This record gives sequence, structure tokens and C-alpha cells, in this order.
Amino acid sequence: MTNSSTNILDIKNIEVMYDNVILALHDVSLKVPKGKVVALLGANGAGKSTTLKSVSTMLASERGKVTKGSIDYDGNSIEKQTPSQMVGLGMVQVLEGRRCFGHLTVEENIISGAYSRKLSKGEINQELEKIYAYFLRLKERRKSQAAFTSGGEQQMIAVARAMMAKPKMLLLDEPTMGLAPQLVAEIFKIVKELNQKEGVSILLAEQNTNIALKNSDYGYIIETGKVMLEGTAESLLNDEKVKELYLGISKKGRKNFRDVLKEESLSKRIK
Amino acid sequence: MANEILFFMEVVVGGLLAGTMYSLVALGFVLIFKASATFNFSQGAMVFFSVLAFCGFMQDFNIPFVLAFILAAFLMVLVGLCTERLVLRPLMNASEDTVLMATIGLGYVLEGLAQAAWGVEVRRLDLGIGDFPVPWIADNLKLFISALDITAGLVAALMIIGLFLLFKYTKIGLGLRAVADDAGAASSIGIPLKHIMLLVWSAAGVVALVAGCMWGARAGVQFALVDLALKALPVLIIGGFSSIPGAIIGGLIIGATEKVLEVYIGPFFGGAIEGWAPYVLAIFFLLYRPEGLFGEKIIRRV
Repeated sequence: MTNSSTNILDIKNIEVMYDNVILALHDVSLKVPKGKVVALLGANGAGKSTTLKSVSTMLASERGKVTKGSIDYDGNSIEKQTPSQMVGLGMVQVLEGRRCFGHLTVEENIISGAYSRKLSKGEINQELEKIYAYFLRLKERRKSQAAFTSGGEQQMIAVARAMMAKPKMLLLDEPTMGLAPQLVAEIFKIVKELNQKEGVSILLAEQNTNIALKNSDYGYIIETGKVMLEGTAESLLNDEKVKELYLGISKKGRKNFRDVLKEESLSKRIK
Repeated sequence: MANEILFFMEVVVGGLLAGTMYSLVALGFVLIFKASATFNFSQGAMVFFSVLAFCGFMQDFNIPFVLAFILAAFLMVLVGLCTERLVLRPLMNASEDTVLMATIGLGYVLEGLAQAAWGVEVRRLDLGIGDFPVPWIADNLKLFISALDITAGLVAALMIIGLFLLFKYTKIGLGLRAVADDAGAASSIGIPLKHIMLLVWSAAGVVALVAGCMWGARAGVQFALVDLALKALPVLIIGGFSSIPGAIIGGLIIGATEKVLEVYIGPFFGGAIEGWAPYVLAIFFLLYRPEGLFGEKIIRRV
């Protein structure tokens, strides 16, 4: 994690504001080494999506702005880039909530991901077959209208669509949101495969701490716009605080966030 | 009796064909509404601007018909380009209401520019197609149907087929449909919104030119064409703001109903109900099916 040339993404102390008044990120720094999977964990409103959107430069379309700090992708600052330029450079974000094109067929959805590449019809079909090898389920449903597919299938469409852009790096925003455990496992299996076989680096925002860490190399935990904790996935999984706050496991049995807060304020009062 | 049926047929067919002229105007609105979710108040001005330029090229510069049409089409692409660059891009992150207001302003600019460049008098546009019954149809089918109406119907059909092919089978068409569904997701996979906007506004400009030619040939090329936009409103309400087939069917329904109502019910009201009957129909749609026949079930105020 130390040598900067091995990092495909290097975020240094960024601060992000929406509408010039709402401070969404205070101070976030993180690195994604080439070819690795990094998990960005935290509760709702912690700043996970904002961090990803700062990287894909999609912030501007939501009137957000990086006001401090820097983001380097593949050795260059992304400050002046637009989302479509970022896609051209091989950085693709899979937005939260899947966001498939409902009126398009599954196949049209996937093909739309290749929009930024100049491909012939034959090349597109080749790429499609390559993608379908990872998403067998989508091949069966290629002619269906995307709006009528299940949540899990829509998530696969969103990832497949992003893969058609031939990314070097994928930003996945809560890919398992609202999915059944079996599908969560299936999505992660595919993500892992894409990482290993295609060499795509992945920054993954998740609330599902346990499975996210099990499938990542490194993890960051953010709360109210700040990185609170970071470490290798293994160390985070075994960390007592993480276990208590995010995995719901503790020596005293199950516990939720509110209990911990109560205890802390109690102990403060005693002091 | 047979004569009455023939007369009814004539009214309906005439109405349907006249309706395609409304469809042509409505089509321009739909294109822009699909891509930017904005009702383009300047569409009427675009119709006026484009056809006045077309007439100007022919009559003031003696440019031949076909070349003048191509020039006018290019001019509309240029208008699309300027609109994207000077109006839409600076307002990229503004709310849809802001863009809506901007289109009203754009309308005034286009009206002013057109009149400054080509003068304010009414011009006659002769397409070489008469606005009188076609003898062959009159003799054989006993229906009196205007040649201009038939041409408008054919042109509308061609435009629809052309746009359908463009959207369904080209890369940029796929991009447009993607943007229409979810502009944010489209931009996240690298579909450049500005190219799509440029395409849509240029296409809407060319559609405006075609609609303007048809209406100009019938009613003269004059400032009143701007108000055609109002006639497209009931068409859009009935067909749905975001549907191309909707614009066509909506136009046909408006055309046929207003003619039938005018002929059969008009006399009870002292005639001339054509002017407001479509709006009454539109109000019924707003009450019972606000998304229109083919629209998506999201309606926004315009």
C-alpha cells in the first residue's frame, strides 16, 4: 500500500460540498492498489456514494464539488475530467440502485456500455459473448425488457454494462442492496471473477460489511464523512470494534450500534 | 344514405390527414421531451424560423427548391448546435424548470432573429402541391381529399419510419434511448450527453422545418405559425409527451375528432368549434388518463 506507482487510485484528504453549503465529506483518503479489491464500508449517509462519485466525477451533476484534497487516477489528476472522459480512461461507476435502462432490452443495455468504444458489429458480438460467459443468466434473458427482470438480474445488467466499457477500474456502489443472500453471494462471486480474470481493480461501497470484507483485500470504514478505520480485510474482520459495530458480534453476544453509544456515554459520565 | 356515409368518410379521412400535420409539429416536442424531460416552448418558433429561412433562401436569393431545403435543414442543425452550446450546456445542472424557462426565451430570440433577417410580411410558399381535392380520388372513390393533406400524411409516415430506424438500429439512437430512460446512468457509462442533445435538437429542428413547410403551404408563412405549438399541446396530452407513436396517434385523433365535431355538432354552437374542441378532449384525458395513451406514467407540469 505504500508505493504510489502500484496504486491505480489515490485519494488524498478530500473534502466534498454539495450546493456550496452541505459538507458531505470532511477528510477522506484512500488508495486502491492495481488489481485489488478495496471495500469502502459505512452506514447510510456516511459518505460512501459521495466518495465514489468524486472519483467518477459524477458529483458535478448533483451540484457537488471536491473543495479540498486531490484524486489521482492512474498517476494523473482527475480534476478537469468529465464522466464520459473518465469512462474513456477506463474508470466506470456502477451506480447505486442498478439504474438499468428499463425500456431497453437486456442486450441493448449491455451493448450501451460499449458506447464510448469504437467497435464494429462483429467486435461488439465478441465482447458480448465474453461478458455473457460471466453472466450466464443474462444470456437467457437477453431479449427481455430490462424493467421486467428481477433485482438480481438488474444488478448483473448494470455490472455487465459497465464491463462492456472495458474498464481498468470499477466503482461499485452497493451492488447487493435489497438482494436475497443467495444472489448476494452470486454477485460477489462474479465480481471476484472479474477482478481475477480480467484484472479489473475494484472499489466497492457496501453496507454488507461481512461479505464485502470476505471478498476484498483491504477495507476502509467511514462515518460522517471521515475515515475512521482502515486495514487489511482480514484484520478488519477480526477487529473487536468492527465486530461490535458492523458485524453485530461481540463477546457479550449480539449488540447494536445504539447500545454501544449508550455504554460509551455512560462510561464518559462515570469518568 | 350512401351519400351521407361517403360524406362522413370524407370528413374523417380529411381530418385524419390534417391530423398528421399536427403530428408533425408534436413530433418535435416529443424528441426534445424524451431527451431532456423539458417541454420545448420554442418549438413553434423553430417551425416559424425554419420555414421562413427556407422561403427566404428561395425567394430572396433565388436558390433552387431542393438546395434551399438542404440549406434550411443545415441552418436548423446550426441552431441545435448553438442551443446546446449556449443554452443547454450552461444549464446542465439546473432544474428542469429553469431549462423550461430558457426555452421560452429561446423562442423569442428565434422569432426576433427570423423577422430581423427575413422581414415581417406573410410569404407564400408554393410546394407545387395544391391544397385542393385530388381528381383521381374524387372520381373513383367519390371522396374529396386535398393533395396537400395526402402529402402531409405520407411525409409524416416517412418521418416516423426514419426516426424509428434511427432510434432502433443506430448507435446514437441507442444512446438517445438510454439517455431518455436514465440520463445519469447513461453518463456513468460514458454516453456523452452533449452529443445526444445536439442530435435531438437538430432532429427537432429538421422536423420543425418539415412541419413548417406543410403548414406554410396551407396557411402562408407567417408569424401565426408560432402558435402552432399550442395546437400540438392537446395532441401531446392525448398521445403522451414521451412517445413518438403517441404523437402520431394523438395527431390523428385530434384531426379526426375536430373535423367530425365541427361538421356534426358545430352548427349547434354556431360553428368554428374546431378551435377549442381539441382542448376539451385534452381536458378529458387529463382527468381520466393524464399520462396520455402511450406516455410513461410520470406526468410533470409544463
